[in-house]
Amino acid sequence: MVTEASTERFMGWPKRKDLIATLAIVALFVSISGASAQEVRSGWAMVDSGTESDLLTAEFHEGEFWAFGTGGIMISSIDGGGTWSESGISVNQDLTSSDSNFGSMAVSGNDGTILFMRDGVWTDVSTSLFGDITDIALTGNSSFVVIQQDEIWTCEISEDGSADWNSASSQGEIDYFSISFLDSDNGLVSGEKGAIMASTDGGASWEYRDAPSEVSATGIIDIEYHSSIRAYAISDEGHILKSSREGNVPVGFVWSIVEIEREYPPGGGSEFEVGGSTLDSDVSNIDVIGQFKLLLSGSSGYLAISLDGGNIVSQQMIPLSNETSFNGFAMQDGFRGIAIGENGSILRTENAGSEEFVGFEVIDFNDFGQFVDYSKERLMDGLVATAKIVIFGIIMGFSLGIILSMLKTSPTTLKNVAQTNRFQILLVFIVTPIWVLMQIPISVVKATGLAKRWNLDNPLNGVMGYCKERSLQIAASEPLNVIAIRVIGVALLAFGIHRIFSNLDDISALNLDGWEHIYSPIGAPSAVFWILFGVGMAVLGTIFLSCNGDFSIRELSLGRSNISLNPWGIRPLNTIATVYTDIFRNTPLLVQFMFIHFGFELGRRLQDPGMMLFDFDYLEGNSNFITDIFVVYETNPESLAYGRPIGGILEDRAYISAIFALGLNSGAYQCETIRGAIAAIPSGQMEAGRSIGLNYMQSMRLVVMPQAVRICIPPLGNEMVNLVLNSSLAMIIGYAEITRQGKLIVATTFQVFWTWGMVLISYFLITWTLALFLRYLEEKTRIPGLGISGGA
Amino acid sequence: MTEIILSVEDMEKTYVGGVHAVRGVSFEVKEGDSLAIIGSSGSGKSTVLRCINRLIEPTKGVVRLKGEKINTPAADINEVRSRIGMVFQSFELFSHLRVIDNVSLGLIHVRGMGREEARSEARKVLERVDMLDRVDAYPGNLSGGQKQRVAIARALAMKPEVMLFDEPTSALDPELIGSVLETIQGLAEEGMTMVVVTHEIGFARDVADRVIYMDQGLIAEDGPSSIIDEPKTERMREFLSSIND
Ligand SMILES: Nc1ncnc2c1ncn2[C@@H]1O[C@H](COP(=O)(O)OP(=O)(O)O)[C@@H](O)[C@H]1O
Ligand SMILES: [Mg+2]
Repeated sequence: MVTEASTERFMGWPKRKDLIATLAIVALFVSISGASAQEVRSGWAMVDSGTESDLLTAEFHEGEFWAFGTGGIMISSIDGGGTWSESGISVNQDLTSSDSNFGSMAVSGNDGTILFMRDGVWTDVSTSLFGDITDIALTGNSSFVVIQQDEIWTCEISEDGSADWNSASSQGEIDYFSISFLDSDNGLVSGEKGAIMASTDGGASWEYRDAPSEVSATGIIDIEYHSSIRAYAISDEGHILKSSREGNVPVGFVWSIVEIEREYPPGGGSEFEVGGSTLDSDVSNIDVIGQFKLLLSGSSGYLAISLDGGNIVSQQMIPLSNETSFNGFAMQDGFRGIAIGENGSILRTENAGSEEFVGFEVIDFNDFGQFVDYSKERLMDGLVATAKIVIFGIIMGFSLGIILSMLKTSPTTLKNVAQTNRFQILLVFIVTPIWVLMQIPISVVKATGLAKRWNLDNPLNGVMGYCKERSLQIAASEPLNVIAIRVIGVALLAFGIHRIFSNLDDISALNLDGWEHIYSPIGAPSAVFWILFGVGMAVLGTIFLSCNGDFSIRELSLGRSNISLNPWGIRPLNTIATVYTDIFRNTPLLVQFMFIHFGFELGRRLQDPGMMLFDFDYLEGNSNFITDIFVVYETNPESLAYGRPIGGILEDRAYISAIFALGLNSGAYQCETIRGAIAAIPSGQMEAGRSIGLNYMQSMRLVVMPQAVRICIPPLGNEMVNLVLNSSLAMIIGYAEITRQGKLIVATTFQVFWTWGMVLISYFLITWTLALFLRYLEEKTRIPGLGISGGA
Repeated sequence: MTEIILSVEDMEKTYVGGVHAVRGVSFEVKEGDSLAIIGSSGSGKSTVLRCINRLIEPTKGVVRLKGEKINTPAADINEVRSRIGMVFQSFELFSHLRVIDNVSLGLIHVRGMGREEARSEARKVLERVDMLDRVDAYPGNLSGGQKQRVAIARALAMKPEVMLFDEPTSALDPELIGSVLETIQGLAEEGMTMVVVTHEIGFARDVADRVIYMDQGLIAEDGPSSIIDEPKTERMREFLSSIND
């Protein structure tokens, strides 16, 4: 004879083997990770400048690159920086700064050296007015402004080549470092002690602008007036300053320090340093080549680019020794140009110096292997994202389903409501809600383990017990108070009617005609709510008003037909749950997703209060795996972004909305499934439970539910598989689950068949695993000797 | 003088939908007595039993347990029920629980016993109904007679003051009836107060101290078990002969 236990084991084994096999496949799938080597090549190429002199400044002028440096070295290239030769005119002084604009070019240097070039003709307009000139900027094809120590001068070159110098009105007393003009009128000057000044009249007069207080003690060593909406500057401590036009306030008035989030080392990669407000390297020069595209240069071989106005700065690889100091750039456009530095170094680029990732560029999306290699990471990300909303959606849907099905099967009728006495009312409307409100933080605190020391108990436990006792006593000793019920009825009726009429105005204010009124719940949500609420209250009030102590069914004869009315049999909890399930089951999930996320903005509404609840300061040091579900903070002590949320439900609004859309919808369906299962349990089970003295909730919990849950495992399993498949709709609200990842992969690879096929396989793996697990669960929880299962 | 455990005074029940199932029934059961209620199907026997432990509320009338009125909102209904054992025609065992847990469930959750205490108590009761060898089986794997004995044990475990049996053998195969009737008879001999609704006329005659014949919601005949042999009304005579065939 085969014993029961051995039969079970015999039947259980193949199922478990299935499960193990599935888990193994999933594990394999998860463990495949891409780590192919990539070769990184510098975006800068070294060119032969033909000189050993330090190059200090460079320009791109009328199709030619020019570079200037110590000892009056002056070289140019007519082939985009490839080959260089000496040209121009010869001087012996160091050439330190230059500008090219309005079809002219000006170069300045030590000992008052100023060289001016127009239409290919160089003129030496050096003057003995100055010592070493700090910087020069053109304000027209024959006019420029120079700065020297604490002086600013404008100069006009007349037809015959003579120069007309004028000292600009300026406050003086500080040394100026850099000058830059946008056009012939508007210019900026920077200097020591955080000084920034602006001119709107071609340099004749200057006014101070407010630089951020953080740089008030530092020198602003380079400034560039890039466009009418953007100017940048850098300080000698490595701050990047930025000014934008704000409304009618032009560029130059308001300056802010760019928050440097990350600094990437040369060669890219994923490791970075968090920058704070200053760059780690010694930066001496900034070149703005786009509203947000900056090139930076400095000593120790520092060349860097930022594509977002300085938030993320990536140092670039150079094909030179790291000792080389770079002194500036000359850019032909946003991509092509040169960087110049000491010992005659010239580097040339065609892509703004960005590194080339050799491994990446040659992916052949027509090769399935390479295609999979490229897309698997995205798919895995999507898989994880899908799993996350599915898991929380299932938890939420199931809890909601249980609660709703309990409401739907609850036997509480209006008769019971009318029979409640004052202590029950106190219990239901005041004591229990407060108890629950107090219980929630107590449970949270208990769950997070913040207060292991004290034994927290709800202080209202005693009050609850007393109310229960008193309400029983009253039910025993006092007859039904019909007068009181009628008074409440009148009050409810009056309240309901008042609610209806006081909100009708809001509806008529919508100016809707006829059938358009079906949309009024969206036009005036609160008014419609109050009117419906008022109607409900009025009906309730009327029923209460009709109370005469007899709760039986009324027969109403209407002509030939008899209608039986059973108003006292109305079950209010059931009604509420039915309204909920009807709404969610009679509208498409896709629209629910969009309404919840874009319309109602549930994600946004929950994010902020949630973040306040799980505030970083509060969690600091006390975060654990439960709080991590809600929000995870970055905790790098060196980082300025200390306490920035980097994970958890609250981090992503679409994530929050997706969980709720799936959970709320699934709850409505699961409610019906569970209710069906409860209904399938013979009423005798409830009676048997109650006959041994269990109360309604105990019988439900200990007798009916355990059996109902077993019955509903297969249909609930279907429901959960549905939930997984429905989760693909979350792509519509921008949540990066598998389907959305599939779309992104198609957008880059154009491999439609492969991509969607792989997405299908991913879904199949999830749902199949889930289905196997549910099958296993069903087998595990099967009640021996009950039902036909084809098994033991 | 023996105490009156259970009394029913002028009980009436009209179901939702208007069926007047019980139309004024009164009787008393003394301590240690066993009362058999017989009557044709639909005569209201089950309704009377279910009104006694308030699985349904009587429309009218008073039910007293040891003199205390129990069909008022004041009575703690769960406490009252735990003092009245009920055995159903269709057993109504909790199919997801093993035999031992079926019996100990009420002890744990109503009487507040610890798990182990409840189990050892349950074993004692299961021994009384001769089911000790199947304590770990699930109800689905028991025969009908065994199921009904477990159901009796489940009710007995609560140490009820009175036991109600609603056709305890009607769902059983003839060869299984005997063991259940023996068990009930054993209880009666031990002095358990009980009300048994049954179609087993022989059992009523041999075991019951008193027999009530119900017809259309009313008590048609009421007396010692000898009335079975000498029915006064034509209806009861017809009923008895239809059963004996
Ligand atoms: N829940 C119910 N709702 C309406 N009528 C019922 C209900 N239960 C029983 N009845 C009716 O009440 C009458 C008495 O039923 P019952 O007490 O079960 O009789 P018995 O147990 O004697 O066979 C029958 O006519 C039956 O149809
Ligand atoms: Mg019956």
